[in-house]
Amino acid sequence: MKKLFIIFSVLSLLVFIRPALGINTNSNAQSTLPVSTVEQVEESSSESFIQEAFDGIKQFYSYTGFANAAGGNLIMILIGIVFIYLGIKFDYEPLLLIPIGTGVILGNIPFVAGNQTGIYETGSVLNYLYFGVVKGIYPPLIFLGIGAMTDFSSLIANPKLMLLGAAAQIGVFATFLGALYLGFNLPEAGAIGIIGGADGPTAIFLSSKLANGINILPDGTTVKNLIGPIAIAAYSYMALVPVIQPPIMKLLTSKKERLIRMKPPRAVSQKEKMIFPIVALLLTTFISPSALPLLGMLFFGNLLKESGRTERLADTARTKLIDIVTILLGVTVGASTQADIFITKDSMLIFGLGAISFVIATMGGLLFAKFMNLFLKSDEKINPLIGAAGVSAVPDSARVVHAEGLKADKNNYLLMHAMAPNVAGVIGSAIAAGIILSFLG
Amino acid sequence: MLYMKLYIDQISEGYVILITGLLIVFGALLLLTAFFKFGLPVLLYIYKIITKGRDKKIKDISPNVNEQFTGEIAAAISTAIHLYLKEQHDEENAVLTIKQARKLYSPWSSKIYGTHNNLR
Repeated sequence: MKKLFIIFSVLSLLVFIRPALGINTNSNAQSTLPVSTVEQVEESSSESFIQEAFDGIKQFYSYTGFANAAGGNLIMILIGIVFIYLGIKFDYEPLLLIPIGTGVILGNIPFVAGNQTGIYETGSVLNYLYFGVVKGIYPPLIFLGIGAMTDFSSLIANPKLMLLGAAAQIGVFATFLGALYLGFNLPEAGAIGIIGGADGPTAIFLSSKLANGINILPDGTTVKNLIGPIAIAAYSYMALVPVIQPPIMKLLTSKKERLIRMKPPRAVSQKEKMIFPIVALLLTTFISPSALPLLGMLFFGNLLKESGRTERLADTARTKLIDIVTILLGVTVGASTQADIFITKDSMLIFGLGAISFVIATMGGLLFAKFMNLFLKSDEKINPLIGAAGVSAVPDSARVVHAEGLKADKNNYLLMHAMAPNVAGVIGSAIAAGIILSFLG
Repeated sequence: MLYMKLYIDQISEGYVILITGLLIVFGALLLLTAFFKFGLPVLLYIYKIITKGRDKKIKDISPNVNEQFTGEIAAAISTAIHLYLKEQHDEENAVLTIKQARKLYSPWSSKIYGTHNNLR
């Protein structure tokens, strides 16, 4: 049965190919051979038929992926498959890793340049979709959805946890400095630094403004296009939060500290929830206007959710809209990792810096939580573990904190508390992005 | 005349951005903290005075008074409501009603135009 199927498929393939070759040879024979005698034509055409057919196959082959495959493409395709595997097998942010993984494969199918195929060729469909990344359109839309999903009540109930979100931003600035020392110029370093904010949309937004390969530096050189590496680093480390954070948490907190139980947050009135997005929008954007697209959309989405009158809009923003944008963003960011642009020394450096930035951000949050505990009364002490949720990576880092808390004490539920620094981290990293943008943009 | 430094020391500028950036981020979130700690109760109080409604007093909003009603209770209640609304489906009554669907008239299926009309 199987053999029969194979034979049939080979035959059908031949049937399909034959007319193409036949037409090809006919036209070529007519154009190349001047008619002298009938016999000659017959003879040479039968000879040339094989030759032409062979040439046709050769030409076809030269357009296939097999002929154009470079080592880099194959490595990147393998990475894409690993991403998909990680997403499916270990459930590490599958909503991101599977689109990105597929995108990586799409972007690294080898092709002949000049046919409007690749993501970097103007006029190709992928290029049009990529437009939303290059111009920073997708990130604010994602933030709108995040705003419509997020419940800020734990933050309103316990505003001092907001500082943990700020403390984790030390990762951003430390990475920025590290990138400068490694020889990146200022805008590039700023874009790399934001990986420490552990916020994919923010990272894409900032890198599309600073390291987009278009801007020209004061000394006349063009900045490098680092959107692909930065986005991939940010998203892959975000997916790896459950792997990166726990060892650092264990290292920096004592068993006793991990056992601290926090007072359950008070109930927050609807009025407070409605005032929050408006006031927070005003305060944060007045301080850091460059973060307006991100913070504006974030708090707008939250207002849609909390106003109680626009449930329809909030519902669309947090389901359909964010899904659509996530699909487009994931695939195009993945596809932007075309090997000849992606596999460089810079990308490797960015990946290294990204890992360090996550570590520093986590440490910043944890240590600041311990520092705050020095000043708090004994019944108001905070569990330092929640400091680690100050790196945004919503809601994965909060979940990791919760899981670690449960490991120390089966009945200590930290999720609610961890959400506060978690969402504060989103606000903090958006503000940090705004600051970097206003300094270097 | 505009004088511009041709060579900017990147590292030192990096430190400047590091310090100011961190300060601004902390400042911004500190401001938010302060507002929600102190400003918001005042705001709600003013709102209460303006509307002169039967709104809660300012001290009712403070966490100390609300201690009885914690987030855990809220979570328990909302879980119960959620379960109730979700499980409702299991307790449906067994009476079946058949809804008469009105068919639209279409000449294509009309018996008047059938082929067997003239069989007599």
